[in-house]
Amino acid sequence: MNLKELYQEIILEHGKNPRNLRKTENFNKDAKGNNPLCGDIVHVYLKLSEQRKVEDISFEGSGCAISMASASIMTDLIKGKSDNETKEIIEDFLGMIKENPELKSNILKEDDKTKLMCLSGVKQYPMRVKCATLSWHTLISAMENDGKEISTES
Amino acid sequence: MNIDTIKKEFPIFDKKIQNNDLVYLDSANSSQKPKVVIDRINEFYSKQFSNVGRSVHYLAVTATNLYENTRSSVQKYINAKDKNEIVFTKGATEALNLVANTLGQKYLEEGDEILLTELEHHSNYVPWHYLRKSKNIKINFAEINEDGDVPIENIEKKITPKTKIIAINHLSNVTGAILPIKEITELAHSKGIIVVVDGCQGGPHLKLDMQELDCDFYAISCHKMYGPTGLGILYGKKKWLEELPPYQGGGGMIKEVKKDRITYGDLPNKYEAGTMATAQVIAFDQSIKFLESIGIENIIKHEKELIEYGQEILRKNNSVKLIGNPKNKGGVLSFIIQGVHPHDIATILDEDGVAIRAGHHCCQILHDKLEIPASARASIGVYNIKSDFDQLNESINKCKKIFDLK
Ligand SMILES: Cc1ncc(COP(=O)(O)O)c(C=O)c1O
Repeated sequence: MNLKELYQEIILEHGKNPRNLRKTENFNKDAKGNNPLCGDIVHVYLKLSEQRKVEDISFEGSGCAISMASASIMTDLIKGKSDNETKEIIEDFLGMIKENPELKSNILKEDDKTKLMCLSGVKQYPMRVKCATLSWHTLISAMENDGKEISTES
Repeated sequence: MNIDTIKKEFPIFDKKIQNNDLVYLDSANSSQKPKVVIDRINEFYSKQFSNVGRSVHYLAVTATNLYENTRSSVQKYINAKDKNEIVFTKGATEALNLVANTLGQKYLEEGDEILLTELEHHSNYVPWHYLRKSKNIKINFAEINEDGDVPIENIEKKITPKTKIIAINHLSNVTGAILPIKEITELAHSKGIIVVVDGCQGGPHLKLDMQELDCDFYAISCHKMYGPTGLGILYGKKKWLEELPPYQGGGGMIKEVKKDRITYGDLPNKYEAGTMATAQVIAFDQSIKFLESIGIENIIKHEKELIEYGQEILRKNNSVKLIGNPKNKGGVLSFIIQGVHPHDIATILDEDGVAIRAGHHCCQILHDKLEIPASARASIGVYNIKSDFDQLNESINKCKKIFDLK
């Protein structure tokens, strides 16, 4: 295990100054997520245009450095993407956290990929994987907008 | 047994945990087990195993006697009047569910009130919450003060003519507040109110004397008392256990079963349906003997010194804020660090072999009240020593460094 790999500069910086930590005005999709075991909560807001492009994405919530950084990086990357691109990025990220050594999608720029890969340190900390994935699962729910609250424990 | 050298009775401390000496500060969650308890489980399964109470063969009789021996040991250890006031359960959680469920069935009516405190563990809230729907009862909460304590006045304030039950923590698993159960019981009984105590943290840290406390029910978690998991104890005054209906139905708890009627067994069988945690019960006798060999007075003294030392060290650490400063405090030191989430603290401490817990510790009501989503908790057992807190503090400083705090 390696703390330095888990708490990389970028993670600490995003954890401390999360981007898009606010509530999108006139959002049209949103979902809540929580991790009942540790008390982390996140609320993701989306403004999807008629062309199904993410015009704005933001989140509210509180949690550990990993979960805040993950939500912060996620919202940064997703802004401006189409819904199909978003789905592909989510799938790619979750696949990487679960098992893949690399990100595969070509949608992301190299430096965005580097940012996302910073979160790969959680792979060595199984108890912390949920911290990194909560906001992503919540984003899926917001996209589908089935209003289902995401819990890491169900 | 000398408490200063007690650590060597616990095999887990012989092991390196990820190349570190283990600094175990998570005993409020579950305590480590002394060798005598571990060995007893092995011995029972290797040489004496049989199910209890059913067959007449030699092994069954031996196992039944051993099982009942533990009941007698527990009765003595907690100074219950009668052996049949001791019911084995799968945990304190089941014990509390048993009480809430059966009191709910027999004793509560629509509009009745139950008084809890803001310090309660979910195990002493959720089972009562069920009665909100099924019985239409109301739940009130006695408030904590700024020290994370619940003074008896705050309880008295919330008692109404409708209050039927007070269900309270003996020792808070977050703030460490020790509640004056005896006084609370006196007050409650003077108004005809039943007292149910969540004794999970009282069990390992306090003197247990049921006749002195005079509460009606007391729930114990054996795995927090140097005993095996899968086992809890419900103490209940005999008149209640006799009067209340059974909880779970099944083998062992019946007297007579016919197609048109069933009668139930006497205490304690009435509440011990199905095959029980036999090996755990039998091994728990060793936990009691272990506690007796140290002496609860010595344990209390040792742990008081430790908690005071820990508080002193952490107070000097300027980023650390302790949660709760109750008059009588035992067992736990919860804290937060401004700018570092408890989960990050726990992960970083773990790298040094320091095991703590982070989260809301099943006390969401309390954390909401304190306006924090989570806290970090260092909790102690007989095996902890002062240098454990030195290591804790050192590892906290490492957190601060990683997170660039002063
Ligand atoms: C105060 C308190 N009550 C109840 C419980 C639940 O005990 P168990 O999990 O053994 O049923 C705990 C243990 O976490 C506790 O600390």
